[in-house]
Amino acid sequence: MRFSLSVLVLGVCLSLSFAGSRFALADEYAADILPLLKKYCFECHGAGDEVNGEVDFTKIKTAAQVDASFEKWESAIGLIEAGEMPPEDSPQMSDVERAIFVEWYSQRFVDSVEAKPHVFQPRRLSAHEYRNTMRSMFGFDLEVDIIEAQQTVVEKSMVMKLLPTDPRGKSGFRNDTHNNPLSTVIWDQYSYLADNALEQMFSKRRRKHLEKITGPIAGTGPTFAQAEILVRDFVPRAFRRDVDEQKIDQILARLNQADKLVPVLKVELKTVLMSPGFLYRGILMKKIPGQQLVDDFELAERTAYFLWADMPDAQLLSTAAQGKLRDPDVFQSEVTRMLKSPRAMNLAEDFATQWLSLNEIRNISNDPILPLSLLSQPVDFMNYLFTQDRPLMELIDSDVAFVNPNVRGFYGKDAKQMTAYRKQKGIEREVVPNQQIQLENTQERGGILTMPGIVAMNKGPVLRGVWMLERILGQHLPDPPADVGQVKPNSQGENLTFRERFELHRSNPTCAVCHRKIDPLGFSLQGYDAKGGYILADDYEKTQKNKKTVSKKGEVIDTSGKMPSGEEFNNFYELKEILITTERETIIRNIVKKTLSYALCRELKLHDQPTVEDIVDKLNKNNGTYRDLIHEVVNSLPFQETIIPGEKL
Amino acid sequence: MSVSLNRRTFLRGSAGALLPLPFLNLMEASAKTENEGKPPVRFMALFKPNGVHPPTWNIEEGSEFDFRMTPMMKSFEKHKDDLLVLDNIGDFGFASHANSSRRFLSGHHQNTKTASIDQIIADKIGGDTPHKSLELTTEGLFPGQIGCSYISYDQNGQPIPRESDPQLIFDRLFNNPLSHPQKRKQMASLLDRVNEDAKSLSRKAGAEDQQVLDQYLTVVRETEKRLQTMKAASTGPIDFTKLERPEGGGSLDDQVESMLDLIALAMWTDQSRCISYMLGNSNSRMIFDFLGVKEQHHYLSHFFRNFSPTNIVELLKVCSWHMEKFDSLLNRLKSYKDHNGTLLEHSVVLFGSGMGHSDNHTVKRIPMVLAGQGGGMIKTGRYLRYAENQPVGKLHLALLQQFGVDTDSYGMAETPLAGLDGSPINFYEERAFDTWVKHEDKTITVQGRLRLSDDLNQAKIFFVDVKGKPAVRLEIGFRDFHDFNLAYHCGTPITLTGNGTLRGEELVITKVTKLESVFGKLPGKANG
Repeated sequence: MRFSLSVLVLGVCLSLSFAGSRFALADEYAADILPLLKKYCFECHGAGDEVNGEVDFTKIKTAAQVDASFEKWESAIGLIEAGEMPPEDSPQMSDVERAIFVEWYSQRFVDSVEAKPHVFQPRRLSAHEYRNTMRSMFGFDLEVDIIEAQQTVVEKSMVMKLLPTDPRGKSGFRNDTHNNPLSTVIWDQYSYLADNALEQMFSKRRRKHLEKITGPIAGTGPTFAQAEILVRDFVPRAFRRDVDEQKIDQILARLNQADKLVPVLKVELKTVLMSPGFLYRGILMKKIPGQQLVDDFELAERTAYFLWADMPDAQLLSTAAQGKLRDPDVFQSEVTRMLKSPRAMNLAEDFATQWLSLNEIRNISNDPILPLSLLSQPVDFMNYLFTQDRPLMELIDSDVAFVNPNVRGFYGKDAKQMTAYRKQKGIEREVVPNQQIQLENTQERGGILTMPGIVAMNKGPVLRGVWMLERILGQHLPDPPADVGQVKPNSQGENLTFRERFELHRSNPTCAVCHRKIDPLGFSLQGYDAKGGYILADDYEKTQKNKKTVSKKGEVIDTSGKMPSGEEFNNFYELKEILITTERETIIRNIVKKTLSYALCRELKLHDQPTVEDIVDKLNKNNGTYRDLIHEVVNSLPFQETIIPGEKL
Repeated sequence: MSVSLNRRTFLRGSAGALLPLPFLNLMEASAKTENEGKPPVRFMALFKPNGVHPPTWNIEEGSEFDFRMTPMMKSFEKHKDDLLVLDNIGDFGFASHANSSRRFLSGHHQNTKTASIDQIIADKIGGDTPHKSLELTTEGLFPGQIGCSYISYDQNGQPIPRESDPQLIFDRLFNNPLSHPQKRKQMASLLDRVNEDAKSLSRKAGAEDQQVLDQYLTVVRETEKRLQTMKAASTGPIDFTKLERPEGGGSLDDQVESMLDLIALAMWTDQSRCISYMLGNSNSRMIFDFLGVKEQHHYLSHFFRNFSPTNIVELLKVCSWHMEKFDSLLNRLKSYKDHNGTLLEHSVVLFGSGMGHSDNHTVKRIPMVLAGQGGGMIKTGRYLRYAENQPVGKLHLALLQQFGVDTDSYGMAETPLAGLDGSPINFYEERAFDTWVKHEDKTITVQGRLRLSDDLNQAKIFFVDVKGKPAVRLEIGFRDFHDFNLAYHCGTPITLTGNGTLRGEELVITKVTKLESVFGKLPGKANG
């Protein structure tokens, strides 16, 4: 009878205003859900001595907290529906109770949630964005004098060397700088970098860059007329939008009074580079309270920083200035153009590298040649997916690989497709660019999951399983308890495999919650050794009469497993099949969430969920590509619109 | 007294680098005029990576005051009177690259828990200089063997980060924006303006903007405060604002020349008294393209393993470049007048490597040259070849004691190396041997010391020196070079028979038939 009541409540809610339905739902939480939580969940999640899995339900008290915890509810519902929670040895929910929980969730977090954009939040450029923006402003990179030799690690960018590394924001991405405030240390570095860039701009060495803006400069420096051209070019670009004529006039007036033009010009331009309009994104957009489309310049800026981590280029800015960017065809063709630019490599180098934690490949060896060679593979692969309009699921299932001579050993016969590499005389070791090949004989390398660098950076089945769950399937896992200890060796008379001993070790129900999901994924990759090598026998399938996979050395390797859904697999190939069918939607959802979150430079909120689901739905049905995804993201509500808080005038 | 260096003080030298012109009036004034008495003593260490090619570096004949500089030393031969050339430094067989960079300033590669001598000396002589020490380099980190990238280590034996960019160093030394008078003025007006901008924005801003602008304004206000608290740099005898900032973005040679400028300038202006500078990592794979060399330095340095006549010529080009940079530094230190002498007279420069033979990595006959008199602590114009192989630690201990550091051991050494100040040493004595030459028909037999040509561009030409007669010239093919292992015997006395003719005054052998070491030395059989 609860059910009919819920439906009734829902029906009533729909006819009420938004705020009204919030209130009613919050009430339902206290009436229906809290008692269930108290009965089944509190003991391990807040009320007992230990808080398991970083989930503390006792802390969720207000309606706002209930909403903010939507990701917690999402994973709780998943566990309850799968019968994984409450744990086996605890009292179980009845079917009715389970249904109440599920119904409440879908009403509150799926059906009743209205898509809306986020409150407008200006944010400081990340170091990476600042580096690129300065490069675009000046036409040259700010670099440190340092000799680059093979096998050494060099930070050539003066910006990256001097600015502190941005911490990852709540979104997990470094462009989410909302909680990374300006400090005097950073201020001094900005000041130093601006001085440095301007010093160079007016030096002989960079004359041709300056002349690109001012036209040919006769003598030692620009004339007043050329200075004016420079100011009119520089200032609006720095602010990424049109600037009041009055502001330009003030600058020109000060230049007019200068005894020596260049020093005053430097001070003026430095002031621009140190002002909030340059250092912060979005601060100059005119703010009128209410929900609205962001203005054209802001849209241009959002798009450019998403695709390039860089400021809009001249064409995009002028399209925005002409007010054409909201023309769907124009916008579409601009985005397509931007994806063709070499700067779109940023999606692979910055976005995918953070999403897939690719920089961990750097740690697999002290000698940088191998890590850099391995790292370049997934980066080039992701760039191929993003810019060559490949279907989303090729992330998992692809027969294209990017291979260089330093990793060719992983590719057997297929490496013969590469044009021969001849090391030049006197070069002992060097990093060499990748070539694209087609995987015909080494299908075990297709897709991101089994790229040599990926299997090598995740050592052992647990790390591999966790990585796949978090990065590919998009699940958040809590940290394991600190006191888990080591897997015990066989005691006398015992003859258990590592996997069997491991399963004993984590048989504790608290551990099992996560490990039931982690382990099958991780152990499926036991056919790849710690260095990324593939160790299964060529005919491993023929020898597996008793469903055992065999290595080249003839050892039996257990790569089988069972998904929480109940689906079973014998080896990684069968798992891969499950991933691209049963788990397809889950994986697409993760790809969409990660991309949207990077594009918005913030963690996703409850009111982004409808947008996510909408995009997932379209891409899933139409076998969407990464280009489709990018177009969906830049046209989505949270990307296109914003809310300015305050009273409407 | 106020002295300024204007930009005319620096003229472009022929090498293209900025060179201070000596003896202009304003250079006559010493940087620290008020400080009578003894001028401060400075210490510099210049590291040459990848050892040397012994046949061109080693001095095989000569005595303390009467010695001939070798072809490789040619570029700094003019400083002979200001040099103390040390020989037979290093006392064991084999060094890894990482060990050799640790050894260069830490006495012994196992001395990994204490500071390197530059740091200990800096503690002693740094006084109240703004930069107790500077650690400089040319290239990035070599994480495969991280020790390859460092010669300076702190009191716990941990590597000290190095800086390679001359502009960054210049700015650190002379361009602090909070004390630099011009920059202070600029920053003050900039702060006013951005403050205004931010405030006018903030009047129109929403709540979220407001929060960001508040942060921004707080930093602006704090910077204003810092500007008030920090005083403008007292205008000492030298007006730093007139110094010319090095140009960036050039070749390795430009980068190093600029850095050498800064080293001398930092010393002269007493911004620092102790600097270590690595011309490359210990196993540097740099490519000297500006010298027309396409191979990696490390590859070339293994001149035996990777032997070819062109490789040798390329290696010698690279090594000669290192020697020229040592010369450049000495030229600069001499061009600055310091109290009643030159800066070099009040400095000690240690130039060298952490291994000797660059192909087999031996820690014997390591190239080590001291330059400058250090205000009297070093007696220069001499060549000291010690009777026994001397541990590097003894040299370091002697230097520490000369600098007044109160210690009686360092880097596994318990006794200081004798002789730096002119104290007596046991000289190496080579067994005497006769030299002669016989010429019958087309057969020439000669006994004497085998050496490489003085002209480093023709490194495949050898000579056998005979007293009182022109040296016998060997113009032989690679086969003979290889079969008779001339590389091994180079520098030692041999008896050699071959076919040849008289060409003018000079006997020339074109085919070797027999070669014997006078003292019966034999190369190992193992492949190099």
